[in-house]
Amino acid sequence: MFTLQTNPSFIMNRINVFKRILLLFFSVLVSFSCVKDTDFDQSESLVLTPIIEVNLVEIQETAVAFLDDIGAEVFNITDLIIFDAFSSDFANENLLKAELVYEVTNSLNKAFEFKMDFYDHSNILQHTISFNIENSPTNIPLATEHTEVFDTTTLEALKASTSLDITLTLLSSPTGSVLTTTSKGAISLKSKGIFYLKLSE
Amino acid sequence: MRWLLFLGVFISLHAQNKQLLYGFTDVPQQMLLNPGAQIDYKGFIGVPLLSHIHFNAGVTGFSAFDVFADDGRDFNQKLQDVVYDMDAKDFFGFNQQLDIFSGGFKLKSSSEKAVFLSFGMYQESDVFFYFPKDYAVLALEGNYNNLDRRFNLGDLSVSAEVASVFHVGVNKKINPKWTVGLRAKVYSSIVHASSTENYGSFTTVEGTSNFLTHIIDLDMKLQTSGVSSIADSTATNQVDILKNRFLLGGNLGVGIDVGFTHQPSPEWTIDASLQDLGFIDYSKDVQNYEVSGYLEYEGIQSVFPQVTSGQTAQEYWDEVEEEFEDLFKVDSTTSAYIKWRPLKLNSSVSYNFGKKVNKECNCLDHSDPSFQNKVGVHLFALKRPNHLQWALSAFYYRKLFKGLQLKTTYTVDTYSSKNVGLGMSAALGPVQFYIMADNLLDYQNVAKSQSVSLQLGFNYIFKNNED
Repeated sequence: MFTLQTNPSFIMNRINVFKRILLLFFSVLVSFSCVKDTDFDQSESLVLTPIIEVNLVEIQETAVAFLDDIGAEVFNITDLIIFDAFSSDFANENLLKAELVYEVTNSLNKAFEFKMDFYDHSNILQHTISFNIENSPTNIPLATEHTEVFDTTTLEALKASTSLDITLTLLSSPTGSVLTTTSKGAISLKSKGIFYLKLSE
Repeated sequence: MRWLLFLGVFISLHAQNKQLLYGFTDVPQQMLLNPGAQIDYKGFIGVPLLSHIHFNAGVTGFSAFDVFADDGRDFNQKLQDVVYDMDAKDFFGFNQQLDIFSGGFKLKSSSEKAVFLSFGMYQESDVFFYFPKDYAVLALEGNYNNLDRRFNLGDLSVSAEVASVFHVGVNKKINPKWTVGLRAKVYSSIVHASSTENYGSFTTVEGTSNFLTHIIDLDMKLQTSGVSSIADSTATNQVDILKNRFLLGGNLGVGIDVGFTHQPSPEWTIDASLQDLGFIDYSKDVQNYEVSGYLEYEGIQSVFPQVTSGQTAQEYWDEVEEEFEDLFKVDSTTSAYIKWRPLKLNSSVSYNFGKKVNKECNCLDHSDPSFQNKVGVHLFALKRPNHLQWALSAFYYRKLFKGLQLKTTYTVDTYSSKNVGLGMSAALGPVQFYIMADNLLDYQNVAKSQSVSLQLGFNYIFKNNED
């Protein structure tokens, strides 16, 4: 049905002609084509700087939390959290700066000291945040704000921390009263961390 | 990272639009685009592995120049500008096809009512992903200053596949005005992975008992087939597995192409085709991964164990940790799934003109020996997971002299509005060579280009016996 040309030299000839055409096509293409005015090494300086905001600890207590079995005031209350996010490899490599933001609302007629201790894995104290909370003689909610900034040396301390010890110590003050089971008001604490990250290659 | 960005520009898929090849009647591979195309020769044999080499790459939303231009501006600032400029409908893609073998012949030699049978096998790779805008913004900004912003985790949409395709097509000229055709296909998927049905979000809102509430809502899945056994086997086994899958041993599917050409008058031609109306049933070597769940996180509640005999903050924290672990726990299944092939539509209207009176030139084209020129418009559309991709071209086709035809196109599509393409087919005796490339204007600076497409191949053509 078909006349197939099988002479090898004929085919080679044809292929050679095509080679030339192909070469011409590409040389025309290439002579016009180039990658101008670009510097692909720039991507080596790629830096992402997201800022992440995450909730930390919350506290909500009334007067009874600060009384013992017989209804007498305790010296303080504490709670310990094993928390390895700050000391993780990710944080160690990428955390540039951190801010811990606290907001306490107190309507108890009792002053407190809030304290957060940061311990490393050998239980050595790395850093302490503490601030005082005023008593509210008329049980009006009083707000206290505190922001702790971690950079340079304090940031290194944060990155070494594996556990947090939270302490609320009862303070006596001129206008304060002694807490009883019938004391009005409550104390609440909100906290969050703002983490400035630097992600680079 | 650098290479990824570079590839993003260079590779990436121009949506498989072959506006230069479509309707290029001298090149047999046009039959793969329209099984109902006009065929003016007795038969052809594609040179094995060389009859059709197709490479197509594209990206929308930016070009390498936008990011890598050596203009002294801060790289990260440029990258940010690009990210903010792009949206979740922008995409990157890559498509490659290679003919393993192909051929065709006329069953009846009389040109009226002839039936043309064509067949072949080709290998195809396809990678496609949408720009995950919200992930990029989250990586750039974080959730700080983005209170109440819902980061859409559904922005992640990726698919990749390597498959081989066997096909047989029938083309029949019913009368001088109508030609119709049908091509049956069997797909053998070698490897496939897709994650296109993702839902979910990450939102930070103002909290009640603490500053914030973090809401994480996840419903994401990745479907793969043909990947796990390759990953688990030795190198020699891998080659055997791939060979087997290449030859119908993979996950199989079936599909058809249909098309027609209508010539109401010798001057006018209307044609259209639908390609890959079919599916693949992924049932062998399937591995699916799924994460789903919902979590609202308000922080750790401190409960002071001395005064309350309940849980400590530590216990509370452990619980939260557990909830997070549960949320991100990946469920793995091996259940079969079916995917439709990306459906493609091609259609064109063209006008033939420029009669050549010289009798000698009759040998150029036997269907309409006297027309030397053709102009027309061509529409291409492709169904993608999240949207319809389209392209509109104006084209001019010209027979220069015996055995040399040229076609040029001007295309407007999602990538660019000034895409000029040039195609050429040259026949020296029975051996034919063709090459087609588009976005020629961008070759002056490839970095500014958003897509590149290239097709070339060799065929051995059996002409109609007119002498």
